Amino acid sequence: MQGKIELMGKREKRMYLIFGAVIAAVWAVSTYVTEFSILQLFTEADTFWQFLTEDFLPPKLPGGSELVNIVQSVITTVAMAVAATTVGGILAFFVSLFGSEYISPFPAFAKVVRGFATFLRNIPALVWAFILFSSLGIGTGVAFAALLITSFAFMVRAFVETMDEVSRDCVESLLTVGATFPQRVINGILPACINGFVSWFLYCFEVNIRASTIVGMVGGGGIGLVLFSYLKSFKYNTAFGIILIIAFMVIVVDLFTNRLRREITK
Amino acid sequence: MECLLKFDKVVKCYSGDTRALDNVSLEINQGEFVSVIGPSGSGKSTFLRSINKLIPLTEGEIYLDGETISDKKGRALRLCRRKIGIVFQNYNLVYRLSVIQNVLHGRLGYMSGLKGILGRYSEEDKHKAVEILEELGLEDFVYNRASDLSGGQKQRVGIARAIMQNPKLLLCDEPIASLDPSSAKVIMDMLYDMIKRRNIACIVNLHQVDVAKKYSTRIIGLSKGKILFDGTPDELDNATIEKIYGRGLEDLMLGGSEGAR
Amino acid sequence: MPMPKQTAEGLRYNKKGKISVCCKDKNMSLVYFFAGTAVCAVLSFAYLDVDWLKLLSRVPSVGEVFFKLAHFDFGMMDLVGEAFMETVSIAVLSTIYSMVLGLFFGMIAAENIFRIHILSVTVKSFFTFLRAVPTPVWVLLMLVCMGFGPSAGIAGLCVHTTAFFTKSFSQSFEDISTETIEALEVTGASKVSVFTNAVLPAAFSQLIAWTGMRFEINFSECAILGMVGAGGIGYVISSNIQGYQYGVAGIAIFLVFVFAFFIERLFVKIKSLIK
Repeated sequence: MQGKIELMGKREKRMYLIFGAVIAAVWAVSTYVTEFSILQLFTEADTFWQFLTEDFLPPKLPGGSELVNIVQSVITTVAMAVAATTVGGILAFFVSLFGSEYISPFPAFAKVVRGFATFLRNIPALVWAFILFSSLGIGTGVAFAALLITSFAFMVRAFVETMDEVSRDCVESLLTVGATFPQRVINGILPACINGFVSWFLYCFEVNIRASTIVGMVGGGGIGLVLFSYLKSFKYNTAFGIILIIAFMVIVVDLFTNRLRREITK
Repeated sequence: MECLLKFDKVVKCYSGDTRALDNVSLEINQGEFVSVIGPSGSGKSTFLRSINKLIPLTEGEIYLDGETISDKKGRALRLCRRKIGIVFQNYNLVYRLSVIQNVLHGRLGYMSGLKGILGRYSEEDKHKAVEILEELGLEDFVYNRASDLSGGQKQRVGIARAIMQNPKLLLCDEPIASLDPSSAKVIMDMLYDMIKRRNIACIVNLHQVDVAKKYSTRIIGLSKGKILFDGTPDELDNATIEKIYGRGLEDLMLGGSEGAR
Repeated sequence: MPMPKQTAEGLRYNKKGKISVCCKDKNMSLVYFFAGTAVCAVLSFAYLDVDWLKLLSRVPSVGEVFFKLAHFDFGMMDLVGEAFMETVSIAVLSTIYSMVLGLFFGMIAAENIFRIHILSVTVKSFFTFLRAVPTPVWVLLMLVCMGFGPSAGIAGLCVHTTAFFTKSFSQSFEDISTETIEALEVTGASKVSVFTNAVLPAAFSQLIAWTGMRFEINFSECAILGMVGAGGIGYVISSNIQGYQYGVAGIAIFLVFVFAFFIERLFVKIKSLIK
């Protein structure tokens, strides 16, 4: 009598087993460290629900000057995101030209460029904000700088990958006709990759809208700061109203960028 | 006849000791139509690409028009490259741009300063581009996006771009490998006519031995980076083909020998 | 832009009488997009009204701060290590729990599995709302409800992550061709078994890619959560910077950087293995 018939190859099965075991082990260790149990959520569901219905609902918005302040801070948040993404995108475009071995006129230098971007990118925006706040002081300008650093680094990576993927062939063909580096950029890379660039630019803008809210919370200004101050002063109804505004703002931006992306890549 | 291209003991090594080109020496004259055949990995592509320094050499020297190429850099290299047109297997067009813009890319090597960067081509160049497109039967597609064309049409644009360079030498890296048989024939015929009319030397990498025999004036057989055969199509007999591909004729798909031409 | 004239020989001329080389159906939206972006950027700068000169004059002090951060102070290493472990654990747990939830909701939200339009639209729009609110806001809410500690961090991250997974997973499921699903349905398999036997294996590599990407995001999110009060490495960074103990903060930032870099490399590897 033979055993069960295997449906998977031995190696594949072992890979999945190892994979599952690693996840289980990591889960166990993490649970031990944080003492988090999923049951806690159910036992505290009552308090949570109570809190939600009694303290938060109904959402409320203040009138008068406070409302004006809220509207202004929404604009500030959007403005920070727009400014940081645009400047970051322009800088990233020029830098990313030197970040790809296939395109850069100084291929040996490409690794350095990418490494620098990796360093900037792997430190979260909020940590940048704290580093900059401690050296430059608090304010929208500094929040802008923090957003600029991360979006610049993100776009350098995305642009380099786009160029490597899309324009290697046509850069090669422009090399063979004897075109100079600026000629290759304008006549080859730019038209071939522009859709990819715009797509990543818009994605980065979506991320920055969220990030500028968060950076605002710790002192950058804008709607994040306003929300934080209402939460700290226990005005939960108003805070919930502002959360709805943030959600609305983010959704509108997402819809807008999706529309743009479709329109441009058409 | 005048010697156009000369390989002098050329060696190319990839990562240590695998020799993609092993001591290759040969001369190619003006107006010759040379086909390079050989199994995959025999160094055909390396052979072609080393000519205009897309791949740097390990040893040896290549002379174009009596000038060395491997020591050239920057402007001098660009001037050399502009004498050599390349037609790629995957066409390598900028698909977002119009057909005529892609053809005009062939002039970029002749332009300098802001004009070249911004792609402000002269009227003369534009007229020439249109003439070449007419010659290739693409006059109705001048303003189409390159991405809208069929494979065979894209390859014709690729040829037009290379011809636009006014090259002395045309390199074709498996120009028909991605095409269906009927467009492949059209492309080979056009290539042949354009070359003859302009008296340009041409080196074509091919997988199809029968195509090589039909069009070329000279065939080079490469295997493991070495030249195993160098002669006219008539001299290429079955025994030599077996030697180049390292297996018997019955194991080779040589393509229909009905002779489409 | 005026339309170029087309002449008998098929050439077009622009208004200066030169031959035009552009495509006939030029997509102008890109031009409008760049113009619009430029205008928006200028307006934004005008609105923000930042004293750029003053800001630039202080840039050297950024270097000073980095100099101080680079002088690692290992005196509080046990505390930093503990906080770091906690942060990693929060990232892991929130990703794992959300993945399970995301698979479930993703299955419901995908249009091609249960084929109940209303259901998938409802689920999708609900999670779109959850996704639209930034993570720290959810964590703050959870903090208010559950009190300080990692639990609030995990729960808060889970909200956003589940919403993210629901969207991306359902997208991956919907990418699977209807033929595959129909082929199994005609054998009489139930919808759930079609899901587990055909859809899930087909989308597997994409799910791994999404999970990896989200784990990276979750780690950096959790590294910042501490700054709004949920403990972990973020709290160490923010409190030590504010308390001018740059050496301790420097180690913490360095740890965050190294770990983020490490998982980025790891998932690039895994992705290339799966493909």
